[in-house]
Amino acid sequence: MKGSYRIVVQNNIVQFKLQVNRNITIIRGDSATGKSTLVDMVRQYSLNGQDSGVNISCEKECTVLVGVRWQSEIASIKNSIVFLDEGLEFISEPAFAAAVQASDNYFVIATRETLFHLPYSVKEVYGLRNVTRKKKYQVFNRIYSEFYPLYDEKMVRIKPDVVVVEDSNSGYQFFSALCEKEGIRCVSAKGNSNIYKVIRECGDETIMVVADGAVFGPEMERVLAFRKAKKVVYFLPESFEWLILRSGLIDGAKVQEILEHPYDFIESEKYFSWERFFTALLIQETKGTYLQYSKSRLNENYLNPKEKRSIGEAIRQLVENGQTS
Amino acid sequence: MLRIIFGKSRDIIYNTSMYFSNVFQKEWLDDPYVRKMIKGVDGSEVLGDYLIKSKALGLIAPAQLSGGVKTLILTYFLPEKIFNASTCGDNCARWFLDMSKKQDRTINLRHIMDFGDRKMDIQILNNGAVVHSMSELVDVAADYL
Repeated sequence: MKGSYRIVVQNNIVQFKLQVNRNITIIRGDSATGKSTLVDMVRQYSLNGQDSGVNISCEKECTVLVGVRWQSEIASIKNSIVFLDEGLEFISEPAFAAAVQASDNYFVIATRETLFHLPYSVKEVYGLRNVTRKKKYQVFNRIYSEFYPLYDEKMVRIKPDVVVVEDSNSGYQFFSALCEKEGIRCVSAKGNSNIYKVIRECGDETIMVVADGAVFGPEMERVLAFRKAKKVVYFLPESFEWLILRSGLIDGAKVQEILEHPYDFIESEKYFSWERFFTALLIQETKGTYLQYSKSRLNENYLNPKEKRSIGEAIRQLVENGQTS
Repeated sequence: MLRIIFGKSRDIIYNTSMYFSNVFQKEWLDDPYVRKMIKGVDGSEVLGDYLIKSKALGLIAPAQLSGGVKTLILTYFLPEKIFNASTCGDNCARWFLDMSKKQDRTINLRHIMDFGDRKMDIQILNNGAVVHSMSELVDVAADYL
């Protein structure tokens, strides 16, 4: 499935509005914000349709996954948005991740549990908040609730003492060259799950974490928690390949169109994460050119002054705009 | 003292909401401490044995309390059991610390709950360490998630 979908779930008591942009969306946050109520309303509608008294407005069918026979249930659901409430232990299992990967559905999962087997984006982790405004002539008091991004951190302009790059290949080689010019120490964490260990080993330095935001969701909470003791800032573009595509080095109106609304081009069944899609796109777009891209080893042409400057400019623009991605 | 097991563990009651629905005793709602927790987390008021007035949902049954407050109530009344406290948001953290002052409680966490900037005494059962602040807790917990 591809696309971005607006979902409105409501009854006479409460209305939830959410936008689902890619295959995995996580809902967490404080207790008593309505996560279970939302999933339960989708369940009621899924079982009884309009007769439930619940109304769902969405281009795609919305349903729930509830039981022990989840594997056969997932296999039978097609082209839908599937909601899961907390209390389902299988969601942290590799088998569930494999089923999500093979599925053409989108999944909205209410859980605080860190799901290390699922590559979800830092941008698709949401809380729910009450946005009800009292109206003078309101007939009944419906509660209005909507998603808000939990990790909506603005990038700050800061010169770090050390840059920790998740990658050990092309991305690291590029950021390493960039840091060398600025006299900043650059360290490869050799994988997302090692970033917190590198942070822990750093002293009283300002640390900048550079990772692929498209898949960094599971690690974000753990790394963010270290801010209790360390000075940590983040730079989380969708991926290094996305940065190159944004830099303008790759010609083509098609690339620009994709970057403007990627969800309309990324088939979830084919690409488990947007990071994989942008890697495939960059490889395809640079094939046979002087910028031919390989993830395992950086083509040295990306380190030429002009190319390095273009990618650096893409980074600068994100920072100027206060965006992490 | 509050004790925490981080990560997956055996003998944990994972689906606390379902468990609550099946073991609930109406006397639980008479307890002033439970009423305070329900007010503090859900913003709801207990009216009777099976009746709660929720600001958001109107009149509700105990089974419609939030997942977080259900886990708090279970941990409060059944200290010999270990519940999955990742069903609780950070707004439940202070209640776990508070109820563990009088009697030890053990919870299971599969994420890093933010206990805030307050001073705390928490034993991490994965390695036995006792931590006194969030920064100390994060330092230990990160390895067990």
